[in-house]
Amino acid sequence: MTNLIRRDLIIQKFQLYLFIPCILFFIFAGSHMSAFFIFVFAGFFIPINAYSYDEKAETNILLNSLPYTRTQIIASRYIGAIFYMAVSIIITTALFYVFNRPFTWADIAIGAGITLTLFSFSFPLFYLLKPGNIGTAVTIGFILFVVLSGPAVIFFEEYLTPVVDFLVSVSSSAIYLSSAGIVTALYAASWIISQIIYQRKTF
Amino acid sequence: MGVENVIELRGVSKALKAFTINNMDLQIKQGFVTGFIGANGAGKSTTMKLIMNLLQPDSGEVSVFGLDYASHEKEIKNRIGFVYDSNVFYESLNLKDIGRIVAPAYKNWDQKQFKAYVDQFELPLNKPIKKFSKGMQMKASIAIALSHDAELIIMDEPTAGLDPTSRRELLDIFQEVMVDGKRTILFSTHITSDLERIADFIVLIDKGEILFDKPVYELQEQYAVVKGSTELLDSDTEPHFIKIERSPNGFHALTKDAAKVKEVFGKHVVIEEASLEEIMFYMKGVQNQYD
Amino acid sequence: MQIIISNSSKEPIYEQILKQIQTAILSGELAEGDALPSIRQLAKDLKISVITTKRAYEELEKAGFIYSIVGKGSFIAEQNLDVIREKKLRVIEEQLSAVISNSKEIGLPYEELQELLKLLYEE
Repeated sequence: MTNLIRRDLIIQKFQLYLFIPCILFFIFAGSHMSAFFIFVFAGFFIPINAYSYDEKAETNILLNSLPYTRTQIIASRYIGAIFYMAVSIIITTALFYVFNRPFTWADIAIGAGITLTLFSFSFPLFYLLKPGNIGTAVTIGFILFVVLSGPAVIFFEEYLTPVVDFLVSVSSSAIYLSSAGIVTALYAASWIISQIIYQRKTF
Repeated sequence: MGVENVIELRGVSKALKAFTINNMDLQIKQGFVTGFIGANGAGKSTTMKLIMNLLQPDSGEVSVFGLDYASHEKEIKNRIGFVYDSNVFYESLNLKDIGRIVAPAYKNWDQKQFKAYVDQFELPLNKPIKKFSKGMQMKASIAIALSHDAELIIMDEPTAGLDPTSRRELLDIFQEVMVDGKRTILFSTHITSDLERIADFIVLIDKGEILFDKPVYELQEQYAVVKGSTELLDSDTEPHFIKIERSPNGFHALTKDAAKVKEVFGKHVVIEEASLEEIMFYMKGVQNQYD
Repeated sequence: MQIIISNSSKEPIYEQILKQIQTAILSGELAEGDALPSIRQLAKDLKISVITTKRAYEELEKAGFIYSIVGKGSFIAEQNLDVIREKKLRVIEEQLSAVISNSKEIGLPYEELQELLKLLYEE
């Protein structure tokens, strides 16, 4: 299983060189952005990028011909995503610290929570799609993102940021715990759904 | 002599969009090379995917090494080396990195052996796979398939895309790995001359159905192409043939009982040994001749 | 001992192997107890299928030319040499009889036949 997780690093070693410059870009150019937003980007980057490699039918044929079970392949995706997200957030935190950009622990917690929620929705969706269509889905998603990015930024600024600020200000452990519980449940449900979808997939 | 079956398909059915495999039985014998032949779209790749558990049967059983996939998937796959007709390795990676991904998956990965094949095939370690020629990609797959002491080697069209020199080189390697008698090779191909040299058993598939599964010498001895005047054909003599092609200049036909044909027609016909290609050609569209 | 296989010959490959090993035994090139190459090694060396070699060995064993020990390989058997020589001699006798009757038909004298035989034998 660790082999499968390690594989994600080997297959995207070139993209990894882009990771730190990207984060630095956000730290410097994105000074108007909330810190949690950068954490979301950082946490999302490696797992989603690794996932895009599994899009191809050939990759699935390879993984399923090697001595791995389908359960393991899905588990490595979900465990690996948490692992890489954590590492990315640690690196980003270090960069924030080095370059003196202010952030709070709440930014990290909320960033991680949003990232995991995004994973929870995107993974099963991708497993559901036919190989070859994921590229299309990502492209459409990207176009939507570009079109909606203006409103989205406003949405983030206007609604999400106050919500985050509210959460930060309330800082009640009850809210954190229940949010964490919801995210965990969502992630677990997503894992089970992906597992069921993948088990029935043909290559 | 007790021949064990490494692969066993019992009553396997699978409905796909393009065609259906219906109640297929197939046994692949341990220690031998089995050649899997049939036209494109006959069901070779689908059968191989069923054997690899990339597809699961709608009904029936698939067992490999006497084990079933439901409870022994990892163990089975640890003992299989696979080569597919298209590249399944990450295209942007070089062979060294692919080795790094594949090696830890296998219990018995032999890095020295892998290096030896890479050297023998003159494969570059630092060039991305997508820049490999088709032949080089195939050789890379074969190097990986042969480097973890697999007992069963499953290959889908491994010699396609290779030049004649490389094909011979590969056939030599396949024969070499068969010497200790522990291994079994199943390979599909439409280059039947490769099989005439090294295959022990030939399985012919058409429209998702196994038409026959026989040792090569039986095919060579029993099957024959018969040529003669159409006047010789009537309702008594026609049943000796599997398929008859008529032309104004006479008939060409395939028989699976050359001795009988010789007895019946004597010197009135020409009887020639049928090549696998000819057998494949004449058997296309013929229903089950299994016996 | 060397075995040469012709792929274009009408004679099945297993028969070619069978005959060549028989010849080597009869000529004394292979002696009692000599080990034959393993079935799989021979298949590889001759670039032919394992089952074909196996068939040749099985036929040789059936005819008593060789015997096999599981895990050790195949060896030249003992008793047969005289019997086979005997058999071969009988065949030669028959063939020679045919030659003689043919010669008599065209009135070929013994001396000329002998000369012819000598010539062909030394060829």
